Amino acid sequence: MTRVLPLEDALIRMQRDLKRALAKDPREIRWGMVIDLARCIGCHACTLGCVAENKLPPGVVYRVVLEEEVGHYPMVRRRFVPRPCVHCQNPPCTKVCPVNATYKDEQGVVRVNYYRCIGCRYCLVACPYAARTSDFGERYTNDTPEMPGKLFGRRAAFAGYELRPAAEYGRRWPDRNGGSPFGNARKCHFCLHRLKVGMLPACVTSCIGRATIFGDRTDPDSLLFEALGSPRLFRLKEELGTQPAVYYLK
Amino acid sequence: MHDNRYYKILVGLAAAGLIIGTWGVVNVLLFGKRATALGSYVPWGLWVAVYLFFLGLTAGAFLITILTYVFRVRIFAPIGPLSAFTVLVAITCEVIIISFDLGHFSRVWRFLINPGWTSMIFWMVVFTNAMIIIYALECYFLLRESLVQGAQAEGTPARWLYRLLSFGKTDFTEADRQADHRRVRLLSIISLPVGLIFYGINGAIFAILLNRPIWNGALTPLLFIVTALLSGGALITFLTYIFKVDDALVHYLGHVIRFLLVVFLFLEALQFFVGYRTGMPINRASLDIIAFGPYWWVFWVFHILLGSALPLYLLSFRHESAQAVAAACFLIIITFIAVRLNFVIPDQAVYKLEGLEATFYHWRLRTDQYFPNLNEWLVSLWVFSLGLLAFMLGSKYLPIVSAGKGEAEHVEA
Repeated sequence: MTRVLPLEDALIRMQRDLKRALAKDPREIRWGMVIDLARCIGCHACTLGCVAENKLPPGVVYRVVLEEEVGHYPMVRRRFVPRPCVHCQNPPCTKVCPVNATYKDEQGVVRVNYYRCIGCRYCLVACPYAARTSDFGERYTNDTPEMPGKLFGRRAAFAGYELRPAAEYGRRWPDRNGGSPFGNARKCHFCLHRLKVGMLPACVTSCIGRATIFGDRTDPDSLLFEALGSPRLFRLKEELGTQPAVYYLK
Repeated sequence: MHDNRYYKILVGLAAAGLIIGTWGVVNVLLFGKRATALGSYVPWGLWVAVYLFFLGLTAGAFLITILTYVFRVRIFAPIGPLSAFTVLVAITCEVIIISFDLGHFSRVWRFLINPGWTSMIFWMVVFTNAMIIIYALECYFLLRESLVQGAQAEGTPARWLYRLLSFGKTDFTEADRQADHRRVRLLSIISLPVGLIFYGINGAIFAILLNRPIWNGALTPLLFIVTALLSGGALITFLTYIFKVDDALVHYLGHVIRFLLVVFLFLEALQFFVGYRTGMPINRASLDIIAFGPYWWVFWVFHILLGSALPLYLLSFRHESAQAVAAACFLIIITFIAVRLNFVIPDQAVYKLEGLEATFYHWRLRTDQYFPNLNEWLVSLWVFSLGLLAFMLGSKYLPIVSAGKGEAEHVEA
């Protein structure tokens, strides 16, 4: 008897898929994502969810939502294309790194070793999807005045958001001693720190249209696997041969 | 040159540039890349352009030493030491400016323990070091005789420096002279493949990148070799005139520079022709930015008019005059930064995905808002000034011009 209920929320199913994937040998997992453009309403919740999850500073963004106009008047509509790092399986960014700071791990996730990155920004230039940003050390509170005796001075605002460590790659950032991730290349990492503890990526859980499907590409019982069989499937800039692990449904 | 008032003026300018530029250097050291106007979509800016500018200047010595010691063209021998010293100064400036561009300079040791064999930047570092070693040795062996003699002679300015660089050697025999020239020739022969790969790799850094229409292609490494030879050759020609080595030599070098300028313009025209004829919007957009964008005057006025048409006229119709040839070379050198800026920035200034320009606003996530800020200009000024000061002091206290006299005999031998 199937355990899938007729009106089961996609998140519930993906959560179950995730649990099943984590029970596997980690070397057999291949994380992937499908974004259903017909379901995306352009609310940018995934962008903000990602920013909040990873405590991203100004000018650093992992997942933007692109807006496109399709068709000709009067048959015209707007299409929204969320663009995380597409985690190429043949990534141009890893090959150009002079110190191997960025690499594709055994589960197909393109990662950045913040301690190793020298900040040459070659990977930013090499990425055909403009999916990488450099952390220039900006702060939301850079120009916030200090107001002694007031509740929301610069320090209070700083402590309220920017002093909170991000948990990227399972560590507490920013590292005040080594400087990283300031000066580093930064990018989407499929929220590996959340996956490790059985949580779906922030962009998936914050998507109100359930447009983002995440899971193990090798699991035939997963929702992701079903979506990968859709005739609407396509990938960005497929002609470049980068083989992204992030797919789209037209 | 150090006998005239220009020496004092240039040293004064270099000192002033160092002092003024220190403000930018301090800002960058304190605030890192936040002190720059760079962004994530235009991550390489003025400093990379200046790096490429210095890269070009290093090719002067490459051109001269190869012609002299590999192909035995005697006439260029007197400027061998001068050009080898020039390359050392230029390559040092090149390394300094690109070090400022790194987000974490303190991690450069990672190149040694985590080498990225597939990265062109890794190989650029390898070949930069190879070039430094080759030209440091070549410069030393070209100067050694004069250094030893200067260390023994009374009244040599900075005699302690001569003694230091002589490493205790007090006499210089004919056998030493022959041995040094054999070493110089060997180093020049080694520098031929190393130099070609070095300039080619710097082009390959850009050429291998997908969806970078101006950069991507087999023409780019070749263009880098030609542009390097052109700007570096122009610098050496200009210095040959300034140091009054030999006007006939300036005349000959003028012919070489004219040939290189024509080849460069031909390759550049090809790049435009192919780019426009492909008809792809991304190609046309990048080329439009160069030719018709907000900084069109950088291309048309600085590069085409002042850096190409005027020098070509002088080199073609006034080539008998050493002064005119030197003026043409000077124009090529100072406008070359425009060539480099037009290479580095326009390709990045085109959004690589439709819609990026309208989403998630931050000025570091926009391509049309990059213009080098004061800190970037000041750091560049500081590096230029450092190079100028090093060159002026070297020309005064080291025998880089006098050591070239009589050099032609050894080439023949």
